[in-house]
Amino acid sequence: MTVLTPSVASGPFTVSGAPAPIASSSTLVNQLSVKPRLGQWSKILVGGPNLGTDESNAMAILYPVPNGGQADSFVIQDQGGQNTIDLSQIYVYATIPGDSPMVEAFGYQTV
Amino acid sequence: MNRRELIQKALGVGAAALAVSQLRGEIVASQYNGPAGGSRGSQLVTILTGPLDTSGQANGVAPLAPVPQYATYVRIQAHPGQQGKIAIGGAAMASTSGNAADSAFLELWPNWDASFDNGRSDTWILSDPKWLNTIDLSQIYVYPEIAGETPIVTAFQLV
Repeated sequence: MTVLTPSVASGPFTVSGAPAPIASSSTLVNQLSVKPRLGQWSKILVGGPNLGTDESNAMAILYPVPNGGQADSFVIQDQGGQNTIDLSQIYVYATIPGDSPMVEAFGYQTV
Repeated sequence: MNRRELIQKALGVGAAALAVSQLRGEIVASQYNGPAGGSRGSQLVTILTGPLDTSGQANGVAPLAPVPQYATYVRIQAHPGQQGKIAIGGAAMASTSGNAADSAFLELWPNWDASFDNGRSDTWILSDPKWLNTIDLSQIYVYPEIAGETPIVTAFQLV
């Protein structure tokens, strides 16, 4: 049967000094979400391989949420129900080195 | 509505009620309940609703369902008025020994006094784009940072 399963790439994603891909090798998923880690103060940049630390080529710039309420997030999903989003082509950067935005990815698997 | 449609409707409601009762912990079977993963029925039923109490589980981490149960849509909302973050993760969160949120893939911010975002609470939604029952509720774990707090959980299934 087909199941939409959390990707192994899901979880806090620690970013050092440069934009980094979510997966080091091609990993196709159906849905991806990136969200600032609550309580941290980085702006989070999301982009492709050409993402710059100066926000150039950013697909999304996410603000931290200091007080509560709805948090900023970047969400993308293949509406055709296929695994088409390659995590190795999505780069993430946190403006404070060491911060760890939350990455959530789900992909179809046959079990 | 003719008699046949009426009976079908009644049966549908009965099936939904059965599914809800199953998810409230009355099941002992080790295999999945309800439709199989990847199926797509014709009636949308609610199989999980209301505040989720995880306090009886180890480390306060609980799956949304005790056995595999496949949904097409799931929504988890930080409970308005409560004060802790809500961590959401996969099976790795169940066996963690430290901060469960470090094994999560998402956290929801509380909105304890409605003073932010016009009172909106943080919410996570996952749905299958083709409305197939592909989301295994037993593989999604929830951890309220403050013990005893109760995120609001809703799940729909097409039966």
